[in-house]
Amino acid sequence: MSTDPLDRPWRLWASVAILSVFVFSVLFGFVLLPIIQGRGAGLDAFESICRALGLRPGSPAAPQPASEAKAQPTTRVAWSAELMQALDRPSAIGAQLAAACTACHGKDGRSVDPKLYPDLAGQSAVALYKQLNDFKSGSRLSAVMAPLAQPLSEEQIVAVSAHFAAFPVRSLPPAQMPAPSEAIERLVARGDPTRAIAACNACHGEQSGGPPEAPRLTHQGAQYLSAQLRAFKSGERRNDIYSRMRNVAAVLSDSEIEGLAGFYSTTFTY
Amino acid sequence: MTHARRLALAHFWIGFIAFAIALVLGVWQMWVRSPLPAPFLTASTYFSSVTAHGTAMAYVLTTFTVMGFGYYVAETALARALPAPRWAWTGFWLALAGTLMAVVTIFSGRAAVLFTFYPPLIASVFYYIGLVLVVAGSWIWCVLMIVAMGQWKGANPGRPVPLAMFATVANAVMWLWTTVGVTLELLFQVIPAALGLKAQIDVGLSRTLFSWTLHAVVYFWLIPSYIAFYTMVPQAAGGRLYSDTMGRLTFVLFLIYSLPVGLHHLLMDPHQSNAFKFLQVALTALVSVPTLLTVFTIGASLEIAGRLRGGRGLFGWIGALPWERPLVLATGLAFLMLAFGGFGGLVNMSYGMNAMVHNTSWVTAHFHLIFGGTVVIMYFAIAYTLWPSLTGRAAPSLAAQRLQLWLWFIGMLVMTLPWHYLGLLGQWRRVATFNYADPIIAAWGPWVIVSLVGGLILLVSGLLFVRNLLQFAIGRASHVPAEVYATAVHPPLRVPAALNGFRLWNVLVLVLMLLAYGYPLAQFFIIDPPGALVHRVDQRR
Repeated sequence: MSTDPLDRPWRLWASVAILSVFVFSVLFGFVLLPIIQGRGAGLDAFESICRALGLRPGSPAAPQPASEAKAQPTTRVAWSAELMQALDRPSAIGAQLAAACTACHGKDGRSVDPKLYPDLAGQSAVALYKQLNDFKSGSRLSAVMAPLAQPLSEEQIVAVSAHFAAFPVRSLPPAQMPAPSEAIERLVARGDPTRAIAACNACHGEQSGGPPEAPRLTHQGAQYLSAQLRAFKSGERRNDIYSRMRNVAAVLSDSEIEGLAGFYSTTFTY
Repeated sequence: MTHARRLALAHFWIGFIAFAIALVLGVWQMWVRSPLPAPFLTASTYFSSVTAHGTAMAYVLTTFTVMGFGYYVAETALARALPAPRWAWTGFWLALAGTLMAVVTIFSGRAAVLFTFYPPLIASVFYYIGLVLVVAGSWIWCVLMIVAMGQWKGANPGRPVPLAMFATVANAVMWLWTTVGVTLELLFQVIPAALGLKAQIDVGLSRTLFSWTLHAVVYFWLIPSYIAFYTMVPQAAGGRLYSDTMGRLTFVLFLIYSLPVGLHHLLMDPHQSNAFKFLQVALTALVSVPTLLTVFTIGASLEIAGRLRGGRGLFGWIGALPWERPLVLATGLAFLMLAFGGFGGLVNMSYGMNAMVHNTSWVTAHFHLIFGGTVVIMYFAIAYTLWPSLTGRAAPSLAAQRLQLWLWFIGMLVMTLPWHYLGLLGQWRRVATFNYADPIIAAWGPWVIVSLVGGLILLVSGLLFVRNLLQFAIGRASHVPAEVYATAVHPPLRVPAALNGFRLWNVLVLVLMLLAYGYPLAQFFIIDPPGALVHRVDQRR
């Protein structure tokens, strides 16, 4: 087949045509364009070509923007795969440390007074880790929790978070479950676009795609939940990244806050 | 009925059933995005629905249609029995099982990642495995197409492969190249993450691998339409194909310039450099060559037909064409939509303009117009053309077929033109609901409703299409079906090996891919950037 005289010029000229277009594009895009762009930005030819190729950071068309701005993070937590894996493993250290928590949060993570203290049993370890960290750093203010969290090391916070997450949640008596109102259910499932409220379930739902630190809200006391929403609303609590919860709570009415707290405190799933 | 015909029918029906279901979901999605109150709306139902719609339209309808059409062409254009029909059925059942697996996973709410996956979002592993099975089924098809052509060439040394089969094999070869990118992404990144074996995923790498597939996959969907343009339309119009060589060149150029161009989908992504983006955009621009070759060749072929039918003057031949024949009508409508869609595509591939429209509805509208319009209307016409020979019955009503094609064309323009405009106004894509209480967004409302009306027309047209195919059951039995393939003005007696096979072009694709994608992929292993945390959508931590 390769000896076909009809075919030889095809092989040659097809390759020449395709490779010349390629070479032209490379000369233009890799050399000419960066040099011209770099000249406008005050960069030398070598630097602009390296930038165009992605070998050095920055755009060949602009000098690197220099900023003096210092970040002021809402929280000092940073997620990593190792941290997430560690939070999945309860340990003996966690069980020892948990003794300090039992007076309020109960031996099995079931709060002694759900009106005031949240249940920790079955809570997401990631959420617990973030809150302990925030109590420690001062991102979340609490006269009770701050002195307890401050002496804890990173490993200890991980251990105690993983410890409580492993307990089963409190069981709810089904007979006492009131039917939630349609408006509250809609807020939970669909949010309210006219007030820029995302569905609560977008982050707190069972199959949510929200941030990993979003806590489980079910099986918590209604009073505790509504107190937190009011604290977000007033700005007293401010450890939510990107002000997500403050933005939502700010536009919730008081009756909606009570309704949502009631909904989650009496719901099994989500 | 021969094996190939049974295979073709089975494939077409699976594709069209998926199409009909996805169409209903699509209309519901337009409704949700409009200011009118829609039922069943939650964010998760919306994104599950979008995932199902995209998966069914982009992977199921297309792959099954391409495979079914290929089996038909292999048997009829080559005039020989299909090799290894048992393998063909294996491919069919594999792809069907994969489809069902993916669909069940989506509807159980465990795969709302949209059909382009968007890592680090990770769905249930069954969604991805389902799609891998669909692709595996299509690989069997690719091999069978290549083998069928090889066997024919062995039996007919020195003779040119019929253009329809040459183009089908071009598509099969291209599909094998195309699926490498997404397969690497799924097997080495996404599926291990879905199985919990990996906690991090390098999103830059996965997006780059997907871009390898993302543009060529569009040509995989498009090529059946081009096969119909070149090999069936001139015949249906009562003329001849202007040039067989132009056809071969077109399909070869599609093979070459569909692959090393995918970075133009990543123009706004920070992990690829300007220079490689420029290179691949420059190569993208070359796809205008086969497109213009086609417009010219098919225009010339139709002119031959029009003049043979007595058309006179500069444009008189256009009116003389047999527009009452569905395939001719569909071609005219497809070309009009190709003109609009091609213009939108030029905007998308231009860096500066892309920056303005990238995350807006413009892009969604563009691919609905070019794929849903140009490509799918030709799928309808292909089905109408092949059904008499597949079922042995004549169509009871060509008027119903024409009505369906017109409705599809009108619906597509009514839906996509306002949708493009909304994109220019800033309406973002991948969003379930809008705050129509905002005065700026409220001004979008009427256009979204117009778009929804277009969607409803499309739904009517789609259901009419299925009805038209079912109507064949009551059509009268037709004796020997008419010849579907066109003869060229100068039928090729001998063609150079370069235009009778793919060896040379495969080498050139390999070279171009190494040059255009080599460093953009290698950089992820040289720099070793941090991965993103896997974000499961099928369960909470």
